[in-house]
Amino acid sequence: MSLYKTMSCGLGCNSSLPLAKFVFMLALAVNAAPAAATGVDADPLSFHAFGTLGIARTSNDQADFIRDRSQPNGSNGNPSARNDSIVGVQVNYRPDERFDVVVQGVSHYRYDGTFSPELTWAFLKVSPTPELALRFGRIGTEFFMLADSRMVGYSYLTVRPPVDFFGTLPFNYVDGVDGRYTRSTDWGLLSLSAYGGVLREKVPAGGGVWDLGYSRMSGVSLELQKGPWQGRASFSRLRFDNDGPMAPILSFMNTRDAAAIAAADALKTAGSEGVYRSIGVTYDDGNWQASAAWNSTHRSSALYEDSRSGYLLVGRHLGGFTPYAGYSWTHSTPKSLAPSLPDPYLGPLNAAIVGYMKNSHQDQYTLTLGGRWDFQRNMDIKAQVDLVRGTPDSYFLVQQPTSAWNGRSTVMSVALDFFF
Amino acid sequence: MNSLRTRSIALLMTVLLLGLPVTVLADMVVVANPKSGVERLSVEDVINIFMGRYRELPGSIPALPVDLPASDPVRERFYQRLVGKDLAQINAYWARLVLSGRTMPPLRMEGAEEAIRYVATHRGAVAYLERPKADARVRIVLELP
Repeated sequence: MSLYKTMSCGLGCNSSLPLAKFVFMLALAVNAAPAAATGVDADPLSFHAFGTLGIARTSNDQADFIRDRSQPNGSNGNPSARNDSIVGVQVNYRPDERFDVVVQGVSHYRYDGTFSPELTWAFLKVSPTPELALRFGRIGTEFFMLADSRMVGYSYLTVRPPVDFFGTLPFNYVDGVDGRYTRSTDWGLLSLSAYGGVLREKVPAGGGVWDLGYSRMSGVSLELQKGPWQGRASFSRLRFDNDGPMAPILSFMNTRDAAAIAAADALKTAGSEGVYRSIGVTYDDGNWQASAAWNSTHRSSALYEDSRSGYLLVGRHLGGFTPYAGYSWTHSTPKSLAPSLPDPYLGPLNAAIVGYMKNSHQDQYTLTLGGRWDFQRNMDIKAQVDLVRGTPDSYFLVQQPTSAWNGRSTVMSVALDFFF
Repeated sequence: MNSLRTRSIALLMTVLLLGLPVTVLADMVVVANPKSGVERLSVEDVINIFMGRYRELPGSIPALPVDLPASDPVRERFYQRLVGKDLAQINAYWARLVLSGRTMPPLRMEGAEEAIRYVATHRGAVAYLERPKADARVRIVLELP
């Protein structure tokens, strides 16, 4: 119980707790919890906690480096704990093998610039047979391969998931249902999954907050696992519920001439679609760990560009130490607004809209080098350097770029992860 | 001089030979309930069951894998042989599956005797043991290479 108290304090008073004390208490807590590490006891109730204490520093102060688009600020030439610090707790109630109730709360730096905790999972899982698993409630979706464990630093090699690949995804969960059917075949274990639900999250957008709430999302995925190999292909579709911060501008445009109305129609996000495709493969034989993935994002609204991104990551396990190297990239295709807006009243607005459209441009690659050290049970330390090399108009994966932003930055990061 | 060397080598061989049967006998086996109807499991089956990928035994019985205590050296050797991972890697693997809400790790036992008792009393249960510990209450379904 003392363990649990420590964690709830970590959640609530994270920012005020001095670093050294935090780490010390963490080490005590981890050592005091030998049995809870990975197993379930006969007790149907189990508690888990996880988190990352991370500090990142960029070399370029002309834009804020962010982990993903849910963060309004990040490192801007200064050391920042915002990018990667996360604390989460989870409770599982499992009366028998067929039922599992999972509730998880996470505190991380989010859209409103706070670390306010959020309910990330709250679902009932039913497995009537070993082949079938159904989940109802607030669920994490494996939108891209490994997307549902992005916040669990202890589960992967790098300090953070590749930003070029995952950075455009600001949402973590849907309120809805998913199903997974698995069967053993000659090629390996084949799983087919489908999910559907509504988003409930908010993201920073255009200097304000965009409530994505009730945007509908659904998807399917196919997965094949054999020995150390795992491959996955997925397709998701998102239907945006509203126009977010653009709503007042669009309603103004709709009061003008036919060209303005046509432009407003092309720009609106309400009812527009995002289509996400991805394929990925991982290999892990205990000595070598490698993953590669590719995705494409298409958005029907002219406000956001269509993008393609990918990453490669290779790590070598040497006892408790795992050095790794990665390469990731993202590119997007600019969209034009035709016809342009001829109304003289809309001149400045036109420029603003073109500027907003350019904000979703991405044209960059990142070289990553780092190491993970599993220095004690249930904890690791990581150090990482990212060389971000983009064009000066690669804006989407940073916040507040100035006119002097050149798209290039070197990010130094250290992180401490734990799980028990 | 020569005979001393020969005797030393003989002594060394004896020590090695005395030690050898222990390591050979201490081979790892996977055991199931004799009433489960399961005669053999493949390495791939055991990976699927213990790594939480797919928990079904031949004959459509839900598989109930059980684990030894976290720091038991037999546990470490089992996962090393099964999937080539050390305990930190196994822990990181479960961090992902548990915290994404997908599945739960095998039930944790207090030791080999409790694991045997569990397997003997649950039709779908599967455990790993050092070979000398596997008695008539359980059936060996896989010898780990």
